[in-house]
Amino acid sequence: MGVSLYKEPELEKPVLIAGWPGIGNVGLIAVDTLRGGLRAEEFGEIEPWDFFYPKRIVIRNGELKDLEFPSNKFYFKKTEKRDLIFFIGEEQPTEEGRAYAEGRKAYQMANLVLDVALKLGCQRAYTSGAAVAPIHHTMKPKVWAVPNTEALIDELRGYENTILMSDIEGRKGQGNITGLNGLLLGVAKKRGLEAVCIMGEIPVYLQGLPLPYPKASKSVLEVLTASLGVRIEMEGIIELVERSEREVENLYQRFPLEIREQLDKLKYVTYARPAEPGPITEEDKKRILEDIDKFFKKGPKED
Amino acid sequence: MSQESPFRIYAKPEFQSSSLIVGWAEDAGKLGPKVVDYLNKKLEAQDFGEIEPVDFFSLGGVLVENDVAHFPESKFHHCQAYNLVIFKSSLPRAEWYKFLNLIFDVIEQHCHVKELYTVGGMVSFGAHTAPRELFALANSPEMKEVLSQYDLARDMDYQTPPGQRPTLSSFLLWVAKRRNIAGASLWVPIPFYLVAMEDPQAWKKTLEFLDRRFDLRIDSTDLDEEIGRQNEKMAQLRIRSPEIDSYIRRLESNLSLTEEESERLVKAIEESLGKGD
Repeated sequence: MGVSLYKEPELEKPVLIAGWPGIGNVGLIAVDTLRGGLRAEEFGEIEPWDFFYPKRIVIRNGELKDLEFPSNKFYFKKTEKRDLIFFIGEEQPTEEGRAYAEGRKAYQMANLVLDVALKLGCQRAYTSGAAVAPIHHTMKPKVWAVPNTEALIDELRGYENTILMSDIEGRKGQGNITGLNGLLLGVAKKRGLEAVCIMGEIPVYLQGLPLPYPKASKSVLEVLTASLGVRIEMEGIIELVERSEREVENLYQRFPLEIREQLDKLKYVTYARPAEPGPITEEDKKRILEDIDKFFKKGPKED
Repeated sequence: MSQESPFRIYAKPEFQSSSLIVGWAEDAGKLGPKVVDYLNKKLEAQDFGEIEPVDFFSLGGVLVENDVAHFPESKFHHCQAYNLVIFKSSLPRAEWYKFLNLIFDVIEQHCHVKELYTVGGMVSFGAHTAPRELFALANSPEMKEVLSQYDLARDMDYQTPPGQRPTLSSFLLWVAKRRNIAGASLWVPIPFYLVAMEDPQAWKKTLEFLDRRFDLRIDSTDLDEEIGRQNEKMAQLRIRSPEIDSYIRRLESNLSLTEEESERLVKAIEESLGKGD
């Protein structure tokens, strides 16, 4: 079980940005867009066979030529403001059919990623995922930020379009981040590395669908680029968002009218501080959220 | 607490050089388990070890099938007279790479295995009346050369389509390659309506190759009788049901069936042949 580094770049206090698939692939799309936009260079990988079942066999003329596994690759980029390390996992190492990584394998993988980051002098890590929220798909997704140390709270409050867990009504600052996007935060804390998980909001009614939600990735990307002090061309993700919005709207129009009427009320719900005065009362809001909850039998959650 | 060994060895076979045959307990047409059970019986092979299930299978209880509780098994058998090691196992649910390497740890250490053959069935959309073909996939040019001496379909090009995953036999073959062990996967296409049943014709096709390869000289009259009994049942079903007969005729003419027709055919075959166990 190991890491294979093709080269060891000399980096100055780099920041790690890690992404794995999750709900709507929100985090993965954001991190991969940033990596691609900065033209980061691949420099290593985690050997996949201990973590994953192979994804593809290649046979030529009756002979086994290759067995491909989900990729887990490291990239680096030196930018004007700071040096960056990217880690992108094509799958989360799951056990016994679970949706997200947990247990020994997940812990091993989180440690391997941090082994490389710390070896290269990493000072901070970011992970990214989705926050399932009672929002409407026509709204701009906010970004939820969860640090692994109190020392980062003031900094995160300064990020645009970003809220903390304590800003969300009824949460009292509490929550749960499933899978490696969350676990890495904990393992980083254990190893003395500050880390933040940045989650883009996805509407509650889209969370179970096998659709990417790049609109939330774009919100994440805006926060990440601002906090890292880097710029990338956004045309690619804007096109992706426009295409996704058309798909989501088409899907939405196929929902039964009764459900759509309920979901449309989400346009008027503000569940996170600072709340601006809206066209509905607190009582209306409570009733709307209860009605929608009845449809989906689930509260907000994160990955 | 001391770390327990992931495998148990209860006899020490003496081999200078041997070949390994692997079959998985869950397989299309029951090919894997039937072929290795048949070899074990005919060659009077002896158990000599097993892989402990704890790291590789869900042990939250037992699976009950056909009124009987089942428990995952991963056992090694040896047949000294033919320099053969036979491994039959349930399909592991986790830690596949570790599991597959354990197989080689045991057989390299205790049996000096130099060559691997996996046996298995794959789904075909042809009719059961067509002769069975044996496909072979080699993990090295040298093994391909060995296979060229036999009547096998061995020139296939293939890439796993999106949404599907390679088989565990392919994974094993890849691990063998990494460990410098020559290997081949042998596959017989099984008519889709026999996948959940038994396909003795497919077993025989595989056994014929192994018989020639290892000069086993197995008397397979009993297998021929089983094939005859199944063919007879299928023929009777076709006489009783013109609808089923028409479906099979279409498959014989390389025409396809609709999903609904395929389901009706599978159901009728299941009712006619029974589940096979």
